Amino acid sequence: MIEFERFELDNGLKVIFHKDITTPMAVVNTLYDVGARDESEEKTGFAHLFEHLMFGGSINIPDFDAPLQRAGGESNAFTSNDITNYYDVLPAQNLDTALWLESDRMLSLAFTDKSLEVQRQVVIEEFKQRYLNQPYGDVWLELRPLAYKKHPYKWATIGKDIKHIQDAKMEDVKAFFQKYYHPGNAILCVAGNFEFSYIKERVEYWFGNIPGKLKPARILPSEPIQKEFRELTLERNVPANAFYYAFKMASRKTMEYYVSDMISDALGREKSSRLYIRLKKELNLVSEIGAYITGSLDDGLLMISGKLNDGVSFEQVDVEIWKIIDEFVSREMSVVELERLNIKIRTAREFQDQGLLNRAMNLCHFELLGDAAGINEDLMVYQSITPKQMSTLGKSILKKKNCSVLRIKSTK
Amino acid sequence: MVDRLQTPDLKQIDSINFVAPEIRTEFPIPFFVQKQVPNATSRIELYFNAGSTNGKIGLASLVSGLLLSGTDNMNSTEIHTELDNLGGFHDISLGHESVVVSLYGLNDKLAELLVLFCQSISAVTFSESEIQELKEDRKQKLRINMQKVSFLAQREFSKNLFANSQYGRVINEDNYDSITRKEIIDFHKAFYLSGLFKVVLIGSFQEETIVSMEDLLIPFVNNLALEYNQNLQNIPGVFHTEKEGALQTAIRVGRILFNRKKEDFVDFTILNTILGDYFGSRLMSNLREDKGFTYGVGSMLSEFHETGYFLIATEVGKEHKDAAIAEIRAEIEKLHHELIPAEELNLVRNYLLGQLLKSADGPYAMTDLYVGVQAFGLDISFYDRYIKKIHEITPEKIQLLAKTYLDWSQMTIVSAG
Repeated sequence: MIEFERFELDNGLKVIFHKDITTPMAVVNTLYDVGARDESEEKTGFAHLFEHLMFGGSINIPDFDAPLQRAGGESNAFTSNDITNYYDVLPAQNLDTALWLESDRMLSLAFTDKSLEVQRQVVIEEFKQRYLNQPYGDVWLELRPLAYKKHPYKWATIGKDIKHIQDAKMEDVKAFFQKYYHPGNAILCVAGNFEFSYIKERVEYWFGNIPGKLKPARILPSEPIQKEFRELTLERNVPANAFYYAFKMASRKTMEYYVSDMISDALGREKSSRLYIRLKKELNLVSEIGAYITGSLDDGLLMISGKLNDGVSFEQVDVEIWKIIDEFVSREMSVVELERLNIKIRTAREFQDQGLLNRAMNLCHFELLGDAAGINEDLMVYQSITPKQMSTLGKSILKKKNCSVLRIKSTK
Repeated sequence: MVDRLQTPDLKQIDSINFVAPEIRTEFPIPFFVQKQVPNATSRIELYFNAGSTNGKIGLASLVSGLLLSGTDNMNSTEIHTELDNLGGFHDISLGHESVVVSLYGLNDKLAELLVLFCQSISAVTFSESEIQELKEDRKQKLRINMQKVSFLAQREFSKNLFANSQYGRVINEDNYDSITRKEIIDFHKAFYLSGLFKVVLIGSFQEETIVSMEDLLIPFVNNLALEYNQNLQNIPGVFHTEKEGALQTAIRVGRILFNRKKEDFVDFTILNTILGDYFGSRLMSNLREDKGFTYGVGSMLSEFHETGYFLIATEVGKEHKDAAIAEIRAEIEKLHHELIPAEELNLVRNYLLGQLLKSADGPYAMTDLYVGVQAFGLDISFYDRYIKKIHEITPEKIQLLAKTYLDWSQMTIVSAG
């Protein structure tokens, strides 16, 4: 059970406090409700570029990192298609430094030309390092527009084209800040060995006078129901043929989300999963195979991906994957298999919850979903899932008409 | 009114409450137990004397990958299914000098998991089909890695850093093909069946459970003398591996140095932090935050039992390769010629103390800290000295260390791209 308390400032900032008496450290986690899905199609990669600029100095503090390091702490952030999340971890006695820094960059950035110029270059190098200069690195740049036709999930967080990063202008940066970076669009979590009254007072002090604004309305084009099987084969200079099957699945706030997650576990999470046993151990067709979900807030993807052994054709594997799916949806799984999936979920969760930072991030995440208390209900939802629910949902999502397949064919 | 121009007061860390794990004194090899765990998680780590410097190249890697590949009673799938039924996670990590087998699970399942693990490891049959499957997987993975500039640079770096030693061997596909089942069986017998030299257990356990685990592990206890290379030498110079079509160039700069048994270790750690081991480091400030050459650059001091090495690593845009290497050199030489400003040194002091506090947070981190010094024959008082040295270091000492240990002419400089 993860305990927490909650309050909201007059300017709209939602605040969660999580007490942990065992740690000498403190975490300040700030989630902004903005991600790559909020970008316009002509200016992609912007939410992520912006995340870099958040470290380039704020209105009253020229450098974000140095004061935090001087306080014994460190900071980082990540951007997804859904959210942008910033975190500071530092010795508890210096908590005020993190609140000072985070509140100042929520108030306003410095917006220096130097910061924009340099971070533009840094992000371009990141684009190369992670997506363009790696074998199979461009898979998600290609798969997203195959699986999504309307919804902004059709581009990756890094952006769909380096050119969009190169063209980013200061006026775009400022407009983005005005729209998304303010108390009404943020959730703050402070975790550590503190008293609630102290946290309330300090957060009020640092964040209380930041002007409030209305939360921006999010009206995204919804993805039309897929009605046809899609496939795309690309030739690349890579050593092995690889395949990526993407099935549409429901959004984060639905029961179907949990069931889909568990379906992916059954199909391909571990070496005891169905795809691994059949395709790798029994038939020796693949060198690696797995199944997982993208975990996105809007309609997501259930993925099956892997690499072929030399001399094996895409067709051979395709036939076997559909056979396994057919078996999965036509026969309910045993209680033993269901329990196996559940104990893995429970164990993984126990280990994750050990980390203070993880707890703080998850509390913000669940608060964004509607209620931080969800953090303590999640596991029970998984445990309530029945074999029948899995085969029934499997039938409706694990079908050709709901599937997009990307194949990377080796040119060697 | 909020005064945002005024930096909040800072409180320094003067001491950290380090807690050593219990030692099972009756057990013939070091066996450490940390029972103060406030939740249901647990972990056991088994250290085997089965590192990659032993035997033919690639042999240690194959054996570590085959530990759970099946016995006469259970095939590999049955073993993994049973592990999953118990909710266990595991990790087998191959280093130059040892293999660490880690088993994670809920504390009421760990003893059962360990039984399964020990049975699987001790009775593994090494079937030809499992060996062949793993060889093919490893060869494909190697082919994929050979397309990464970071891998190519690391490979060339290893060859020249650990020149003419077992540490500097790099694998090719045909090395895997040449390994026989008999060699695998012999390696397993020598380095696993009697190669266990340390155990670390974390979790809230009763005495009788710990005793049952000891009984399971006794048969694996090491009976060989542990010997490690003391005389690694790097070949200074500039080396390049060409990779057609690469958009970035990977750079590695480094040399053989020392580990924490050396008096200068802590002071050098401070120097290393200043140069490249935190976000505000000189290399990050220059190559990333000023010039935008790279997504990231870092330096580290990596340790072996008897020695260690210093390394700077980055990936930069192809067109920035020469400029980046020149800037790395300039940053190192600046440390020779200019004393570090007091304010910067003070920041690094505080940063390192804060990070030490963090790395002692919780039973897992605290135990890992302890194990990290025990391996070198040191005890937890190492960290009290560490804190003292952080407080006492001077700009002059930093400069002296830079001159002594970071001489460009002694560096192995590798690029791939």
